[in-house]
Amino acid sequence: MKKKLYHLLKICGEGLKRFFRPIGSFIGKLWRHPKGRIGLIIVGLLILTAIFAPLIAPYDPYDVTERASKGLSPSWNHLLGTTITTGQDIFSMLIYGTRVSLIVGLVTGISIAFLGAIMGILAGYVGGLADTFIMRTVDIMLVIPTLPLTIVLTNLFGKSYFMIIFIFVLFGWTGLARVIRSLVLVLKNANYVKAAELAGASRWHIMIKHILPGVSHLLIMNTALTCAGIMIAEAGLSFLGLGDPTAISWGKMLADAQSGGALLFGHWWWIIAPGIGIFLSVFSFMRIGLVMEEILNPRMKQSSNIYKIFKTLNNNYLEEVFESMDESVILGDFAEKEEEIA
Amino acid sequence: MQKSYLIKRILYAIFIFFVVMVLNFFIPRIGVDDPAERYYPPQGNMTDVEYDIIKQVTREQYGFDVSNLQQFLNYAKGLFQGDLGTSFRPGNPKVSDLIAERLPWTLVLSVTNLLISLFIGLMIGTIAAWRRGRWQDTLLLNMSTISTALPAFFLALILSFYFGFELELFPAYTNPNMVSGFDWSWEAVKVVMYNAALPIISMSIGGIIGYGQGTRNAVIAVTNEDFILTARAKGLSRNQVIFKHTLRNAMLPIVTSLGMSISGLIGGAVIIEQIFNWNGMGTLFLEANNTNDYPLMMGIMLFMSAFAIVANLVTELCYSLLDPRVTVGEKR
Amino acid sequence: MNESELMLKLRNLKVIFPSGQGIIKAVEGINLDIEKGKCVALVGESGCGKSVTSLAIMRLLNSPPAIVKVDELKLDQEELKDYSDGKMQELRGRTLSMIFQDAMTALNPVMTIGKQIDEIYIRHNHLSKKEARAETIRALDLVGVPEAKSRANSFPHQLSGGLRQRVLIAMAFACMPKLIIADEPTTALDVTIQAQVLNVLSDMQKKHQVSLLLITHDLSVVANMADTIYVMYSGKIVEKADKRDLFLSPHHPYTEGLLGSVPKLSDTQHHFVQIPDSVPHPMFKPTGCYFHPRCRYKTKKCEERMPPLVKIDENCEVRCWHPLHIKGGGSQ
Ligand SMILES: Nc1ncnc2c1ncn2[C@@H]1O[C@H](COP(=O)(O)OP(=O)(O)OP(=O)(O)O)[C@@H](O)[C@H]1O
Ligand SMILES: [Mg+2]
Repeated sequence: MKKKLYHLLKICGEGLKRFFRPIGSFIGKLWRHPKGRIGLIIVGLLILTAIFAPLIAPYDPYDVTERASKGLSPSWNHLLGTTITTGQDIFSMLIYGTRVSLIVGLVTGISIAFLGAIMGILAGYVGGLADTFIMRTVDIMLVIPTLPLTIVLTNLFGKSYFMIIFIFVLFGWTGLARVIRSLVLVLKNANYVKAAELAGASRWHIMIKHILPGVSHLLIMNTALTCAGIMIAEAGLSFLGLGDPTAISWGKMLADAQSGGALLFGHWWWIIAPGIGIFLSVFSFMRIGLVMEEILNPRMKQSSNIYKIFKTLNNNYLEEVFESMDESVILGDFAEKEEEIA
Repeated sequence: MQKSYLIKRILYAIFIFFVVMVLNFFIPRIGVDDPAERYYPPQGNMTDVEYDIIKQVTREQYGFDVSNLQQFLNYAKGLFQGDLGTSFRPGNPKVSDLIAERLPWTLVLSVTNLLISLFIGLMIGTIAAWRRGRWQDTLLLNMSTISTALPAFFLALILSFYFGFELELFPAYTNPNMVSGFDWSWEAVKVVMYNAALPIISMSIGGIIGYGQGTRNAVIAVTNEDFILTARAKGLSRNQVIFKHTLRNAMLPIVTSLGMSISGLIGGAVIIEQIFNWNGMGTLFLEANNTNDYPLMMGIMLFMSAFAIVANLVTELCYSLLDPRVTVGEKR
Repeated sequence: MNESELMLKLRNLKVIFPSGQGIIKAVEGINLDIEKGKCVALVGESGCGKSVTSLAIMRLLNSPPAIVKVDELKLDQEELKDYSDGKMQELRGRTLSMIFQDAMTALNPVMTIGKQIDEIYIRHNHLSKKEARAETIRALDLVGVPEAKSRANSFPHQLSGGLRQRVLIAMAFACMPKLIIADEPTTALDVTIQAQVLNVLSDMQKKHQVSLLLITHDLSVVANMADTIYVMYSGKIVEKADKRDLFLSPHHPYTEGLLGSVPKLSDTQHHFVQIPDSVPHPMFKPTGCYFHPRCRYKTKKCEERMPPLVKIDENCEVRCWHPLHIKGGGSQ
């Protein structure tokens, strides 16, 4: 019993290692890609902002006691002005909002990657009953309207970001599981997997040592795109007031701006600021995801690039290349050399 | 299309509906012994005795005084007679009546949005594929990275701010008279169009670009297929190749995403409706949530699910008409 | 040879693909002659530029990505290289047609095979749909598709691999063109089916006196069909000879290697001469003779200089510093 448990733990550890290992090499590849680098830099800055928010923010964003400075326009004192209703410093709120967005996005994205990978690999590799059950579940999840269910569930269990993450994960794994499953169905027939099967490797061993590495690239790419999608969804839920009512998030800032009269009084910065926050975080994760896709299917990119390459082609150089192929050049070269020898 | 395939898909859709129905029945019962506690949560100033009485009344009113199984059977029976339940609202209107009242207004927004997105998207997508790698294509690509990173409700706020409050071109909030005074006259239709402009624009910007990018990728993927080369080797002209061979095949992935858009027609505009105060299904649901009106919420959810199931089924059947390979299960 | 006897006269065909990393030299100055009514084979390993050559003759290479340069491309004394797109479209399928390698991908999956053949008659013979279908059924009959009338209404995925390939052959012969290019017409098939399909192709070619350019990487395929054989390596012709001469006394070590990989019943225990490694990457070709890294007979000279294509006798040319089986022996 104990031995079995130990064995299981070891396999899980191995799985985790294989789950995270490709990330390092991918960050390297991203960094070497100009567009990927932009994404990485923005994500890095966002993470730093989230961690050091108290140091960066000039004011306490939760401070609603500044009665004197309500509804200020942007100035050096308040870079993005203050809110009309409570006099909170908008710039500080923007900085703190990074935390909710990143935490919800990353935690959900990684959880979905775990769940989606497990379900997709089980469905694809084990097949049979597991496959049927998982794919039926996917079909059911697909028809349940997500936003209304989220609203009902927050009504049932109270509003919190934990709840939101839970629901996102509950609904988010289905798409990923499908993608992974179809790739696993292909990998399953690969020679190295067949060889391992013939050699008598256990199913778990094969799934973790052979299948998981095969899908890891797709997994990472999808995780980046999922994070981006989740950040948008989180902003929407917070906008509807379904997030933690005490936390500061960009979605909630937008809702406050709308209800607090930003539109009416022309305080556009109150709307634009959280919008830029959302845009930057979603954009950077999407960039990373798309660049990964490009790295995964280089052909797609090449074929679009070709027009740019054609524009910059040097005709003289092409002439030279063509000429070098001529039979007369080969012959001439030959004749000359023969002469030299003689 | 084979008959057996048709029957199989329909049976499967019924199965899915059944599961969704069971889930729907149990969701309000999660975490409480007595569903009456969900329907009427205890208020602070209520004594236990008073609350017991209220619960008793609620139980009787909503038929919670029988076993769970019996409740479920009653629920299912009601559904098959078209009874989605009764709302808490004053006058206890039928959920189905409330939905019938609000549904058209949501469809005005979402169907118009879908049509606009689809047609303009198809057009610019085809152009981008045609002018692949040229500025049209690059423009679409850049627009699509920007527009997917901007939530539609943020666009809605900006539009409502600029065109509604600053320029006062369009109403930033829907005129409540639009619904009550609607009588199918040209004037009334014009009022609806005027009020729907901003919500529809804010929804369709993302839609157009999404469909555009999707079409572009689909067309390019088909252009690289071998059978396009065959068609050209037969001597077909460029237009014949495009219209007879490329587009037909490029339609396939577009039909799939169209199906997804259709299944989201009812529930996809909650936030936009809320921003513009539009009296549709989304606002109905939010109102229900604010008043803890579980029968209404669950009724709407079930309706949306049923709609999505039917939409998926229809999409699948259309797909199998377009792609003869589906019925034999060779490709999906 | 008299030019009027030539169906195809190709002089100095060069094709390159510029890319981000450098220039891919796919075809480097090829000459090719096909006499009227004869079958010429173009043989070489995967990636040596056979398909690119055939597409260049059809003028089906897109630019970008390809850049094509050719001195003469004469089909029945008609210079094609300056033809307009429209004129080329008129020609393809009518006077010049092509059979592709993988019939599964070369046929449009969502169109019945009948319709796909009809298109050719409608396009080139200006027949009505009904007349075209009658022709189609006749054409399918000719290539040995059983129950052609009903098969015409099937989709490609409903046919076996052999039948699909026959459909492609029927397509190519539809208008009885002057020249047909068959690009590895049997590679995707089982060995037994291969023989059947080759027989059909060979019969059709002989019966209708059509010139055929047969492309393959498998010398055993051409053994019964071809009159003249061109051996291609890494974008260059390395040997041209009549079939008999080539099989009996290959002059180029590469040809010898290719022949070695054709199993012969006569030598049971004898060596398979195998060619080590594989074709060089078309962007990073070796200096000197492209084949030298894999050649058993290489000398220092081979590493330094590309050998010219030298005429050995009337119908035989070879590109090698140390050709084999030369009477009088010795190098060069
Ligand atoms: N569209 C393209 N873009 C870039 N390179 C190409 C393209 N098409 C062909 N090539 C290059 O041209 C070379 C020759 O390709 P080709 O398809 O003619 O080979 P082949 O002899 O037909 O091989 P196979 O037996 O595999 O069909 C290949 O090495 C390939 O890299
Ligand atoms: Mg080829």
